[in-house]
Amino acid sequence: MSGYNAVFESLGLQGWCSAGTQGGPVTLAQLLAKAKANQAGAGEGSLPFPSLDALNSACPAIPRTRDMTSAIEHGFLTVRDGLKVVLDPLTQPLSWLLELSLKVVDLVPWWLMILALLALTWWLSRSLRITALAGSILLALGLVDHLHYALQTMAIVFTCTLICILAGLPIGILMSRSERFKSAALPVLDMLQTLPSFVYLIPLIFLFSVTEPKLYGIAIILYAIVPVVRLTDLGIRQVDGSVGEAAESFGMSGWQRLTSVELPLALPSIMAGVNQTIMMALSMVVIASLVSAPGLGVLVLRGINNLELGVGLVAGLAIVLLAIAFDRVTKASMARLSAQSKGYNP
Amino acid sequence: MRLRVSLAGAVTAALISLNASAQADCGQVTITEMNWASGAVVTAVSSFLLEQGYGCQVKKVPTSTVPALTSLAETGKPDILTEIWPAVADVYFTLEKQGKLVRVGNVLSDGGQDGWWVPKYLVEQHPEAATLAGIMAHPEWVGGQFNNGPSGWGGRVSSDNLIKAFELEQHGIKVFNHGSGETLAASLASAYESKKPWFGYYWAPTGLLGKYPMVSVDMGPLDADKAKCNARIDCATPGKTSWPTATVLTTMSRAFHDSHPDIVALMSKVSFTNTQMGELLAWQESNKATADETAAYFLTQHKRVWQAWVSDEAGRKLDAIIQ
Repeated sequence: MSGYNAVFESLGLQGWCSAGTQGGPVTLAQLLAKAKANQAGAGEGSLPFPSLDALNSACPAIPRTRDMTSAIEHGFLTVRDGLKVVLDPLTQPLSWLLELSLKVVDLVPWWLMILALLALTWWLSRSLRITALAGSILLALGLVDHLHYALQTMAIVFTCTLICILAGLPIGILMSRSERFKSAALPVLDMLQTLPSFVYLIPLIFLFSVTEPKLYGIAIILYAIVPVVRLTDLGIRQVDGSVGEAAESFGMSGWQRLTSVELPLALPSIMAGVNQTIMMALSMVVIASLVSAPGLGVLVLRGINNLELGVGLVAGLAIVLLAIAFDRVTKASMARLSAQSKGYNP
Repeated sequence: MRLRVSLAGAVTAALISLNASAQADCGQVTITEMNWASGAVVTAVSSFLLEQGYGCQVKKVPTSTVPALTSLAETGKPDILTEIWPAVADVYFTLEKQGKLVRVGNVLSDGGQDGWWVPKYLVEQHPEAATLAGIMAHPEWVGGQFNNGPSGWGGRVSSDNLIKAFELEQHGIKVFNHGSGETLAASLASAYESKKPWFGYYWAPTGLLGKYPMVSVDMGPLDADKAKCNARIDCATPGKTSWPTATVLTTMSRAFHDSHPDIVALMSKVSFTNTQMGELLAWQESNKATADETAAYFLTQHKRVWQAWVSDEAGRKLDAIIQ
């Protein structure tokens, strides 16, 4: 009973209101309130905020908040089968890539893997110091039996970063071309960055089977794609307009301008975006393990669930070491690229 | 001046005596709220009875088995620990022996039922799928996959050891370790909705097993010693056995137990059969209710059950509130 009963009575909506169903769960607080109201006859003058629940207690025809959330769930489940038909083939390559990279980590012997990673580090950074850093991190991880987990995490992060770059670059380029597309894309990017990852894990669990790698792959990609998109857009927009005009005056087409002028000049910004994408993918590792991703996240979860302080801390530190290694390597390659591009500036 | 001092003294004395009389009632009680469905319902019901029937100020502490026992061992709080599954945490027996906590009652009178389950429709299709031997002979009946629980679940340790003992992987059944209880539940639910095969670890009483009829796979006779070893992560020789029923206890800290005999009397009687709890949890699932609302449903619909638990005085107070 609240003041709203009087409001509905005075509006003459009693008939419409009582046609609605009133039933469903009551909370303990409502139970207590009912008891107190029966004893004291109080509450008829009270006016809580006119929320759906408050109005529903006065007029059962108005849906409660829980009915609204049920309706959203119902709506999603109705479109789910149609969505699955479209999304399953689109996302299957992601599953294959992830399975392939994890199989590679399982099959390749450790010394070959470490050598390959050191070679990659050298090729990217051309710095002895950073290659030594990467090598010592890998050896330290191997010493505490965390190497296999670390390699699995690296495989997942690299695969997802690759897809992020492949998907994010075109979106970023489109955003830099079209103001309208940018204003449509910005809220989506904001939402992807701030919506708690658990929240968009729920519909993903409904859409995809939990035993398939694409579930955590998509979760990681959705979270980590944002920096690449934003920084590509920023980098291209920051290219000096006069350079673009000069290219046009030389008779370059739009595509040639993009690939020969704008992208190379925007490369430092894009590489910063890739760096941040790798960091964000790494930070998603534990949440990915909640949906059965292998790697260091499994160890962190084990530490959390079993209250094993040491296990959780060491696995967490391993993730930090990986992050440091990736950060230094990508920053060194960025420095090399920007040094090269500076050489081209008149 | 003297009048003012004596007045102040009288007011303070009155306040202190008021406080003391309130504390003699019951005072502050901390109770655990376990992070699974049946635990939350038990806590909601118990704390309502304590607050309205016994005048306690109840503080609910969201937690789970191992952190709650660790906290009790280190700090002597929380006062009441609901739904403790001792099979999961060896530390329970150590604490009981040291006298730091006192076993008060069996909150799930039938005990928890862990097991390896298959859907009922699968057994109707292939009757031999109700036995583990049948499943291992025909892994394609269950889709060649076993859904294991997440780490942190006691059942996971036992399952891992049983998988080794029965050599599940050598018989063509791939073990998929779920990262969280939610994905395990989601995989069961989505397989059941599309009538696909499913085989994995789960436990009762839960809303999921209340909602979807499942059959517990027959794994042979029960060997209590082997089961005890299987429950330990460092078991050197995992053995073939079926699952023992798990006792589920309400416990209290020693200090609280000794100072609140009336609450001990209440909590020792709070008990649900698996049928009762299963019905409550199935209602909760189908109505998308919170634990609080499920408790309200239980208190209004099953008056005779809880009225047997409370003292006469508390029963009178609660009758006035719950119609």
